[in-house]
Amino acid sequence: MDKKTVTTISYLSRLKIDAEKEDKIINDLDNIIAFVDQLNDADTNNIEPLSNPLEKTAKTRKDDVTAKNLKKELLEIAPSSNEDYFLVPRVVE
Amino acid sequence: MSWETVIGLEIHVQLSTKSKLFSGGSTEFGAESNTHVDLIDMGLPGVLPVANREAFYKAIRFGLAIGAEINQTSTFDRKNYFYPDLPKGYQITQMTKPIVEKGSIKIVIDNEEKVINITRAHLEEDAGKSIHDLFEGETGVDLNRAGTPLLEIVSEPEISSAKEAVAYFKAIRQLVTFLDICDGNMAEGSMRCDVNVSIKKTNESELGTRAELKNINSFKFIEKAINYEIDRQIRVLENGESVVQETRLYDSEKNETRSMRSKEEANDYRYFPCPDLLPVVISDDELKEIISNLPELPEEKEKKYISEIGLEESEAKIISSSKTMANMFEQASSKTNDAKLVARWLVGDVSALLNKENIEIDESNLSAENFGKLIERISDNTISGKIAKSVLEEIWENGSDVDEIIESKGLVQIQDESLLEEIANKIIKSNPEQVLAYKGGKDKLFGFFVGQVMKETQGKANPKSVNKILKKLLS
Repeated sequence: MDKKTVTTISYLSRLKIDAEKEDKIINDLDNIIAFVDQLNDADTNNIEPLSNPLEKTAKTRKDDVTAKNLKKELLEIAPSSNEDYFLVPRVVE
Repeated sequence: MSWETVIGLEIHVQLSTKSKLFSGGSTEFGAESNTHVDLIDMGLPGVLPVANREAFYKAIRFGLAIGAEINQTSTFDRKNYFYPDLPKGYQITQMTKPIVEKGSIKIVIDNEEKVINITRAHLEEDAGKSIHDLFEGETGVDLNRAGTPLLEIVSEPEISSAKEAVAYFKAIRQLVTFLDICDGNMAEGSMRCDVNVSIKKTNESELGTRAELKNINSFKFIEKAINYEIDRQIRVLENGESVVQETRLYDSEKNETRSMRSKEEANDYRYFPCPDLLPVVISDDELKEIISNLPELPEEKEKKYISEIGLEESEAKIISSSKTMANMFEQASSKTNDAKLVARWLVGDVSALLNKENIEIDESNLSAENFGKLIERISDNTISGKIAKSVLEEIWENGSDVDEIIESKGLVQIQDESLLEEIANKIIKSNPEQVLAYKGGKDKLFGFFVGQVMKETQGKANPKSVNKILKKLLS
């Protein structure tokens, strides 16, 4: 783990990391990765990948429309909106 | 130096379910903004997605139609990226175990068949819509589309020209509309595609670096975008530079592709299994049920039309090429004894009218019942083919009933041969010069007499009878 990787992944996950904490975070992440790396020692040949630890299968829905029109309520709780849209800072030039 | 093009397509097909992939929000197109947004589509805390079983059934239908493997147990993963029209910050998709894998579809290029292999088809949710140009300095977000089920169909990189890419896209569109899993409406974005293009030297086995062209939604633009991109890559390589792996946007107004690199910088989707969703299992019984309800596909229809009904191959091809045409043919044929005549009119006059207005037959005023009746009135000699054309045009305008048009305009064909003979005699008497010339060997003038009789009867005379009578009188 180096500074560049931390910068990249903090950008990808939109997390701001204070400069003075960077070294500590790099150290922590190194330890976490070393811990998880132990999994590589396990022999996983002929073992199906587990997609979920609960050994159950999904309940599904019928194709029915059940949602109500919540336009007014949903736009109201947004940080910024007008009568029709959620508004965000412009994302294209 | 000669170059070879390698193209792979990712087609996003919007599945025609009523509700979304993971919520009970409606998928209706064109609704007022943000009125079809469920709490799950919003990604609000504490909500959990529940998969729509119908979307799996539709995806399986596609899989079966392309002879693919169906994963009766399939799982969901998260694809992580931030964009305002993706409220959760991730898209739920099927990375590791898609519902459909390893199929193929046939395309026809310059009368030659080519098989394009399909790597996979997986279910995923659509994002919302960003509106960039409506507000000063701000982007508006409409989440109606967020969560709509998509089937992403990924081809192998086996397509070798823009023309083939278009043929492949058309074949997929034909298939999904026949299967009734997508409305195929390109203008409403029901089918969109990303195109991966790379080029390599003819003898090289290794693929070149590819560029991805995003979100193209018309046949015309697919062809233009690919051709532009091929030329661009050749120019780059022949200048001794190298192609950069990147996403490019096709600008249809300028007919060029542009790099989107600035926004895509360092993108890494960090896929991982979605902890909110358990594996979805489709039982053997469900699979059997889907198989037994699979509709007849274009290729089977074409064969049947030729062998059972006796249509010409060219007619059978055109009629089976779209679901709406095939439906019209089959329904109209059931109303009359002359299916071949139905086909001839469908491929001829009806297609001409459709092409003129650039619409599908189900968007026209012509109903199968009325069309069947029209053909029946031609084959039982109530009206002549010529009159039928004007009747068809009238139906086209206002959808009126065939029999009502025939009756109200007095269009019934004149069968009475003594009446026709009387008219023919009158014509012969009033055109002595032409009669002389005809008898003197100007055979072509026969058409003139037929024309005059038709004119006199306003096109209502039975042409066969007119021919017979004129031959007799002029001999």
